[in-house]
Amino acid sequence: MTARQLLLIVALIQGVLLVALMGLILVNRWVQARKRAHLQPRRAVLDAAMRGWAMSETNPDLVVRALEALPRAAAVESLVAWASRLPGERWRALAIDLSHRPWAARLRAATRSRQWWKRLEAARFLSVVSTPDDLQILARLLQDPHPAVHIAAAAALERTVDPGLVKLVLQRVPDMASPVQAYYAAVLRNSHAIAVPMLIDRLSQVYDAGLSRMVEFVGRLGDAGLREPVTALAEHRSAEVRVQVARALGVFPHPRSVVALGLLATDSAWEVRAQAVRSLGRIADPTSLETLRARLRDAEWWVRLRAALALTRLGAPGRDALLAAEVGAQADARFVSRLILGLSNQALGEFAA
Amino acid sequence: MSGLLHFVDSSIVVYFVILNSFYALLLLLAIPEIWEETRLSEDEDLSRLLQTDAPPPISILVPAFNESANIQASVTAILTLDYRTYEVIVINDGSKDDTMDRLQDAFDLYEVPRIYPEVLTTQPIRALYRSRTRPRLLVIDKENGGKADSLNAGINASRWPLVIAVDADTLIEPDAMLRLIRPFLFGQRVAAVGGTVRVANGAVIRDGRVLEPRVAPRFLPGVQVVEYLRSFLYGRLGWNRMGGNLIISGAFGLFRKEYLLDIGGYKTSSIVEDFDIVVRLHRRLRDRRVPYVVRFVPDPVAWTEVPESLAVLGRQRERWHRGLILTLWLYRSMLFRPRYGRIGFIAMPFFLFGEMIAPVVELVGYVVTAIGMWQGFLNLSFALLFLLVAWGYGMLLSIWGIVLEEVGFRRYSRWSDLGRLLFYATLENFGYRQLTVWFRLRAFWSAIRYRHVWGRMVRTGFAPAGSGPRS
Repeated sequence: MTARQLLLIVALIQGVLLVALMGLILVNRWVQARKRAHLQPRRAVLDAAMRGWAMSETNPDLVVRALEALPRAAAVESLVAWASRLPGERWRALAIDLSHRPWAARLRAATRSRQWWKRLEAARFLSVVSTPDDLQILARLLQDPHPAVHIAAAAALERTVDPGLVKLVLQRVPDMASPVQAYYAAVLRNSHAIAVPMLIDRLSQVYDAGLSRMVEFVGRLGDAGLREPVTALAEHRSAEVRVQVARALGVFPHPRSVVALGLLATDSAWEVRAQAVRSLGRIADPTSLETLRARLRDAEWWVRLRAALALTRLGAPGRDALLAAEVGAQADARFVSRLILGLSNQALGEFAA
Repeated sequence: MSGLLHFVDSSIVVYFVILNSFYALLLLLAIPEIWEETRLSEDEDLSRLLQTDAPPPISILVPAFNESANIQASVTAILTLDYRTYEVIVINDGSKDDTMDRLQDAFDLYEVPRIYPEVLTTQPIRALYRSRTRPRLLVIDKENGGKADSLNAGINASRWPLVIAVDADTLIEPDAMLRLIRPFLFGQRVAAVGGTVRVANGAVIRDGRVLEPRVAPRFLPGVQVVEYLRSFLYGRLGWNRMGGNLIISGAFGLFRKEYLLDIGGYKTSSIVEDFDIVVRLHRRLRDRRVPYVVRFVPDPVAWTEVPESLAVLGRQRERWHRGLILTLWLYRSMLFRPRYGRIGFIAMPFFLFGEMIAPVVELVGYVVTAIGMWQGFLNLSFALLFLLVAWGYGMLLSIWGIVLEEVGFRRYSRWSDLGRLLFYATLENFGYRQLTVWFRLRAFWSAIRYRHVWGRMVRTGFAPAGSGPRS
């Protein structure tokens, strides 16, 4: 074959591809428009059925039929959207009704699919309509290797309170990145009664490699029942754990928290001291005045800054301490006090947040 | 003579085949990537996410130099994003126009003292301001030092662990930040993540929001819509899958602050600070064997104004290419070093051979073809056939970008916009492409002279409230 012939063939293929791509664009537009035209009335029927059922004007059969008339993805989308708008009792009744339908059974079966997007669709479905019979499936989804799947499945924990699922989540906490951890802390808000005893047990294992992440998680949950075990870790040998303890204690306003934070405010690691004075500012207990005043002379800038900001939360005594430091002998304390005293209340609120 | 011409000609053909095969590979890799990203974006429950503390706090840095025309609209839009915890730091880089006055009037600013240490050295700060009406806003007024210097000043002042650099002429969509943090929510070790930048020229804009995306009817901004789609929707998505994303757009890119501080912030001597910082991030993190990803996420969108005149476009493209040349030269030690993995073996060589020298090869191709035909060594019909194949391939790539846009996002819903996109994708190779080759060739000359000069961008400003489309 000559070079000219080769080029001719390439040019021909390109031409065919160009036409095919343009055709694909046009066909795609046409298909999407048809899909929309088909979907809109069916969605309207479902919305009307949901509204009627929410006001006890129709029975759930109408809702289920309307759901079945939609493509699976659109039905799941609508269910997720309606889940937050309907009262719990009615929603649970719908979930139970749905659990017997072949349509829902097919979605449940998809939780075993090898394709992550099918598992994701199933996880989204179960996140709003799971029943006690679905606990095993949920447990499997919560351990799914695809992050989107387990994040979607985790939403079910807002409605399903089960010790097995909570235990499963808590086991995974040490491996979770901070945003993931924050998400799980939010969805577990109805499961504190189960989670707290498990966390207390976990916090007692002081040599646990994932302890700092567990303490961080405890701080996010902020349940008063966890204050004591967290306080007990204030003298842990790992600075990383102590940083998290100092941070977590800020959400537990209690005299013992203040004592522990006072100790942490003199820690050898500046990160611990900075976090401790910040938490003292959050608690704003008058007895921490001397500790914070002393930290205005800390060797580390961030500790001095956080101490000065914390003092502004103590009202008049804190302000007096800053005014005294502003004209005191120690240069660092003078400087940081002058800075903080120069801030407006609004700016202080912003910086101290 | 004829032997030499044939040798050069054959080399160009080989170069053409290798480069375009690589583009074809990128194109193929972009398919599963856009499919996956589209599925994820459709199934994301953003309202649930907003109700949790999961979205990490972010500091948005907005460097502004002579941005009087856009500053109020873009800062207002940024201040009303759907995101829970974030601050906006506008850095007025010694503007010579009334940028600072506009900010003062629009947001009722008052001066505050500086309460943070200067970790990165920058030009002197004149003053810091907070807003009485917008508590999230901090304005830094500083001496002129360039964009990188402004970003460094913003990093110094930022409080949160993630910083995002946004150009003052850029409009961010309300849910863009929530979408941008998806890799963080998936627990990935993200060093940097970038979103899509689209062309705002021609769109219906009200109160700093793009209400209706449109393709500008004028040729120059219109053809850049096609360019941007191609660059973002298959170029960067393809690199995602190849694990070697080297560019996070300076107009809309999110970075982990600790890494930025570790590499000393943005380099003030670089004229393409966005490219430079990503290359340095790769180098440092690979040197230290830190596991990380640099990702591109296609569904978070920021809209930007592109040049509408040839002079401004020429300056912009010349600067981009000069920056590419200088950055590749500066970090040449990373090339083909096993330590830098795919960055050293695939991404950087591609940018060197595929992007940097491409305009030179194209010019040589045109010249050799002309000489060959003049001397009678080359057959006219063969040369034209080759040119047709080369241009046809370029057209194919552009239309592929439009296909990905249509299948994945379909922002341009009007048939007239689709028609314009296809029209520009077809015409792009006849004149516009050669023009950009010329702009990029000029960059070689200015790179040799090592000029750290930014091209001047003339802003017309986003349309005021209630106005119709702008063309």
